[in-house]
Amino acid sequence: MSVSDLRLFEMRRPADLPDVCAVLAERVSRSEPTVLLAGGTDWLVEQETRPAFAKEAALPLVLDVSRLPALRGITLDGDRLRIGAAATYLDMRRDPAVLARAPMLERMGRDIGAIQIQARGTLGGNLATASPAADGVTALAAYDATLVVHSVRGERRIPFASLQTAYKRSTRAADEVIVAVEIDLPPAGSPWIWRKVGTRRAQSISKVALAGVAVREGDRLTRLGLGMASVAPVTALLSRVRTLATSRPLRDLTAADIDAAVDADVSPIDDIRSTRDYRAHCARSVVRAFLRDLGAPV
Amino acid sequence: MKISFKVNGAARELDAPPLQRLLDALRLVLGLTGTKEGCAEGECGACTVLLDGEPVNACLVPVGQCQGREITTVEGLGAAGHLSPLQRCFIDHGGAQCGICTPGVLISAEHLLRRNPDPDDDAIREALAGNLCRCTGYQRIIESVRAAAVLRRADARDVGDPRDVGDARGARDVSHDRQEAP
Repeated sequence: MSVSDLRLFEMRRPADLPDVCAVLAERVSRSEPTVLLAGGTDWLVEQETRPAFAKEAALPLVLDVSRLPALRGITLDGDRLRIGAAATYLDMRRDPAVLARAPMLERMGRDIGAIQIQARGTLGGNLATASPAADGVTALAAYDATLVVHSVRGERRIPFASLQTAYKRSTRAADEVIVAVEIDLPPAGSPWIWRKVGTRRAQSISKVALAGVAVREGDRLTRLGLGMASVAPVTALLSRVRTLATSRPLRDLTAADIDAAVDADVSPIDDIRSTRDYRAHCARSVVRAFLRDLGAPV
Repeated sequence: MKISFKVNGAARELDAPPLQRLLDALRLVLGLTGTKEGCAEGECGACTVLLDGEPVNACLVPVGQCQGREITTVEGLGAAGHLSPLQRCFIDHGGAQCGICTPGVLISAEHLLRRNPDPDDDAIREALAGNLCRCTGYQRIIESVRAAAVLRRADARDVGDPRDVGDARGARDVSHDRQEAP
C-alpha cells in the first residue's frame, strides 16, 4: 500500500462507548474487519508498508476512539490508579497523580519515543498492538495492572498475567474495547526501575527494557513486580526472578541464582535489532542492577 | 468527511477523506508547504506541527481526527519580513542549512520555549530528539534555541506579559492572508 491508499478507508467517530461496542459486535459477528484508532503511531505506519488489500471492499472500517471521554482521563482513587486507554503518554507524564505515585510510568513515557510520539501514543494502542517489545506494556506488567475491557456483554477485567497468550495474541475478545488500565499502586516512595537498552534513549525499539517496582520491609521484598521487553514472544513477567527475590532475605541473594532465574525466564532471539546473546547479557545485568539497588549483594 | 478546524488561528473547512494525512491536507489542500515530508513514518520530525498546542508528526495524524482542533504550522510562527525571535536566531546562529528539517525543528523548539522559557542544553536536546537533521550536527540548532530563549525572556520582561512571548502575531496575520486555500 502507499499513503495515497489511506484515502480509501472509511472512518467513523462513534458517539460514545456503547456505540463503539455495538458497531464492533455487529461487524465481528459478520467477520468484517474493524480497526479502533487512537494515536495511530503504529497503525498508520503499518498501512504504508503492508501489501495492498485485494479489493476495496476488504478494507477495514476505522473507528476513531481517540477522543471518547470514556477512554480518556487519569484518576487516583486511594491506591488505585486508573489510566484511560486513549490517554496519551504526554498526558500521563504530566499527570500529578502519576508523578507522585507512579514515577516509573512517567520515566517510561519519556523513553517511549520523542515528544511527537508521546503526544499521540496511548497505553491502549500499545496493548492492542501487543508487541512483546512494547515499552508501555512492559511497565504495566511490572505493576501487575488489570485491563478493563467493554463489549455489548458488559465490562470485564483481565489481570495482566492472563492477558498475553502468544506473540501478538491475547485473551481479549475481538469485540472487546480496551477502556482503561488499573494499577494497585505500591506505597508512595517505593523503589522502582525503568531501564531501556536501545540504539537511542527514545525513538528506538528496545533491545531489552526492564520495568520494576518493589516494596521492601527491612531485608525482605514483600512485593516485586517485573516486566521485560524484547526477550520472549510475550512481555516477560520474570516469574522465577520474582519468586526467588521474595523468598529469602536480600542479603542471601547471589548473582548466580539471579542469573539462573533470568535465564530460565527469558528466551531471546537474534533479529535485526540485536542478538540473543547480547539480550541475555543485558537481561541479567539490568535485573542484577535493580536487585543490587534494593540491597542484594550482587 | 467534512472537517472544521483552525489552522494558524484561522477557521478552515475541508471535505477530505478522513484518513488523509494531516500533512497532505496542509500541503496539498491548504497550500501550507512550509511543513515538510521526510520519512513519512514518524521518525524524522520534519512534518512536526502543533495540534492543540502539542507537537505531533503530521504524517501520522489522519485529518479526520482534527475536527474542532487547532493546528499551528511553521507559517504560524512568522513570515518573511516578520520573523519570530526563534526564526531570527536560527538564521543568526546557523541553525538552518538545507532547511528541510527546519520547520519541524522550529515547531518543536517553539513548544519547548512556551513551556520552559529557560531550558538547559539537555532539555533542548530532549525536546528536539524527534527532529533529525543531517546538515548541522545539531550544535548550531542547540545554540539557536538557547539564543532565542534569552531573546524571548528579554522581550517578556519588556512587554510584561509572558503570553506574548515570541508570538509574532502581526506576522501570523500576514501569513494567513497569503496562504488562503485554493
